[in-house]
Amino acid sequence: MDKEEVKKRVKKVTAQVLGINASEIKDEAEFTTDLGASSLQSIRLVAGYEEEFGIEMDEDKALQVTNVADAVDFISTYLD
Amino acid sequence: MNHQRKDHPLQDATVPNLLEKTFDYNLPPLIRFDGPIVEYIDGKQVEFDPKSVLTRDIVITDTTFRDGQQARPPYSVEQMVRIYGMLARLGGPKGVIRQTEFFLYTKNDREALDRCRALGYKYPEVTGWIRAVKGDFRLVREAGLKETGMLTSCSDFHIFQKLKFRSRQECIDSYCEVVAAAFEAGVRPRCHLEDLTRADIEGFVLPFVDRLMRMSEQVPEELTVKIRLCDTMGFGITYPGADLPRSIPKLIYKLNRECGVPGSRLEWHGHNDFHKVHINGASAWLYGCDAVNTTIFGVGERTGNPPLEGAIIEYISLKQDLCGIDTTVITELAGYLTSISMAIPDNYPFVGKHFNTTRAGIHAGGLRQAEQIYNIFDTAKLLGRPPRVAITDKSGVDGIAVWVNEYFGLKGEDRISKIKVHKIAQWVMDQYEVEGRLSTITDEELEAKVKELMPEYCAKFKGSLKNL
Repeated sequence: MDKEEVKKRVKKVTAQVLGINASEIKDEAEFTTDLGASSLQSIRLVAGYEEEFGIEMDEDKALQVTNVADAVDFISTYLD
Repeated sequence: MNHQRKDHPLQDATVPNLLEKTFDYNLPPLIRFDGPIVEYIDGKQVEFDPKSVLTRDIVITDTTFRDGQQARPPYSVEQMVRIYGMLARLGGPKGVIRQTEFFLYTKNDREALDRCRALGYKYPEVTGWIRAVKGDFRLVREAGLKETGMLTSCSDFHIFQKLKFRSRQECIDSYCEVVAAAFEAGVRPRCHLEDLTRADIEGFVLPFVDRLMRMSEQVPEELTVKIRLCDTMGFGITYPGADLPRSIPKLIYKLNRECGVPGSRLEWHGHNDFHKVHINGASAWLYGCDAVNTTIFGVGERTGNPPLEGAIIEYISLKQDLCGIDTTVITELAGYLTSISMAIPDNYPFVGKHFNTTRAGIHAGGLRQAEQIYNIFDTAKLLGRPPRVAITDKSGVDGIAVWVNEYFGLKGEDRISKIKVHKIAQWVMDQYEVEGRLSTITDEELEAKVKELMPEYCAKFKGSLKNL
């Protein structure tokens, strides 16, 4: 799966969980400071990405990812 | 006083120092001493060696059936037999719970005593409790007891205002007459110095104890007088420098080293009127009194006595060993006594419903990573009570993950990550933010939600589900 496709699906899940429009999510957007994710929403984002991509990520490492671009890179490592 | 500042350079480390010599998770935290305790008594510096508790035969005695019953409806014979059996198992074969005292006045008292002794345990030994009346020794003899407590009140509040003696001399003579009767009956008297912490120590108590010691010189060792130091109103204090009669160190010093009563014949009996009951009892051990008198869960006259289970944990901490004690019986006792209508507050140490329950999410986060962070010792092993979290809007996902893992009975690598419990966490938050809930989420509600939202885990771990 190419990075653009991963990014598109990451933004889709992010928009669903945070209740915002996917088109408003910039690549460099920080989940907490720019998109307003609470700690529970951060957990739900990780759970949402796992479900979307059919993967199981390392919990601690996944929760250390702070922005959309890094999330795309991190998820991609599980798809290679 | 000249205080010279001292520099304290950081000792940097990359691995944690968890102070395991003191905080061995398998035992209650150990109490270790690095020097003597110093007091000033009559202008002299006096030292006490707290490390001596490691080798002295310090013990716990019990008065659940005497002082404990003065604060609640009487136990039935059946209940007393059950409780006695549990005391025996709790204290173990070395007799850490060395003695327990019984009333001897009613048919029920005597039947309970007989049935308890028929269980065949060596410890706790059964002793009696009588008024300071010569005729009462008949009851002690008939019961076949070797030792009995007797009231020898020693404050002028009691001597003059309650017992109406005309002089201290008359009072002492009367008490000693009863002690002599005990000797004659072949029963060891345990003189309860009632209201000691409000008594004239130099003017009455020490002369009385001197006389008891002289009388004891005339009888075999097994009949020599024991002294119970009764802090009847809870006035006793441990603070260094405090004066008599409230100073526990000084009381014990005077009786032990000036009157010559061996520590093995001294027993502390406290009350909790000023929230000092446990530490006063434990301190009595340190200052040379070998026995601390207690009741289960501290139930006793007014505010109660030293809690037996607290003394048990303190004992292990001081001895740095379990000494044959079966600590899980503490939980068993709580279960039994609540089943017969004793109320135990939720936050009561060691046995309350929430004694090791954490509510804050940030604490639950610590608990999830390593339970030692927010658990006092291995409560699952020692008390059969693993640490728990109570779920509210403050619990966070960490708290819910701890709850779910406990529910499924999962440990170590098998534990479910907090990612997997996000649906439960969202439901909990909605309860408060959407539904406006104010109460704690109950175990039953969470159980139902886990079944609804995590059915795959319920199926997978069906065999290990915990009964919460």
